[in-house]
Amino acid sequence: MSFKVGDEIPELVKHPTTRQLVQYAGAQGDFYEIHYDQDYARSVGLPGVILHGLLKAAFLGQLVTDWLGDRGRLKTFEVSYRGIDVPDKPYRCSGKITKVDGRQVEVEVWGEDPAGQRTTVGSATVEMAS
Amino acid sequence: MAVTSVLERLKERIGVERPAVNATVEAGHLRRFAEAIGDPNPRWLNEAPPTFLVALAPASYHVPEAEEFGKGWLNGGNRFEYLEPVKVGDEISATTKLADAYEKSGSSGTLLFIIFETEFKNQHGSMVARLRGTAIRR
Repeated sequence: MSFKVGDEIPELVKHPTTRQLVQYAGAQGDFYEIHYDQDYARSVGLPGVILHGLLKAAFLGQLVTDWLGDRGRLKTFEVSYRGIDVPDKPYRCSGKITKVDGRQVEVEVWGEDPAGQRTTVGSATVEMAS
Repeated sequence: MAVTSVLERLKERIGVERPAVNATVEAGHLRRFAEAIGDPNPRWLNEAPPTFLVALAPASYHVPEAEEFGKGWLNGGNRFEYLEPVKVGDEISATTKLADAYEKSGSSGTLLFIIFETEFKNQHGSMVARLRGTAIRR
């Protein structure tokens, strides 16, 4: 198998719902009210409840592990949250290879809202099995 | 409260570690987490997906003085480094410290940044992962 810089990895489109935010809040143990209480979210200047940054990170993590499978090992995974996202809108996750050095491969990943804003950006480094 | 006064007190916490949090990787928790993120990969029935560590132990701790500034928290970013796989039955010990605190001015005013670093070790004493997280007070 060979990888080259510029190759895109298969995209992943997620469909987060308010129900999923509650599910995630419980599974992670993050009960900050901005993720499930509309009135509270608005009281702190948000348009309503928003996705957990770490839920968007999990989506991008799935993007990488779906692509990688058992062909290699994830070494680092990094995300920055650049904007907020609200439920009931598709969240499109994409990535492309930015560096190949022997068995080390670097992948740039990002998640975008329906307007095409990259609200989460990040990168992953993987070590391919020999 | 002005950011400067809050920042001065936060800086005193830099390097201070919280007592370790111990948690066992339970099959049911792993399954609920995978369901919550909507990832059907059967691999996650036995192994932790990339972001699961944050569900095992808090990767930050409450800093009440930071809440004297601004009106809400935002997560700025997370960086995971993986050294060994984390599997069902592993007993993980997580230690978090406040690594840095600083202010930044942006288009929406001054923001307060707090960096937390967490180290995760397993029952054999091996470091399995490190996590760096940025909490933003706005």
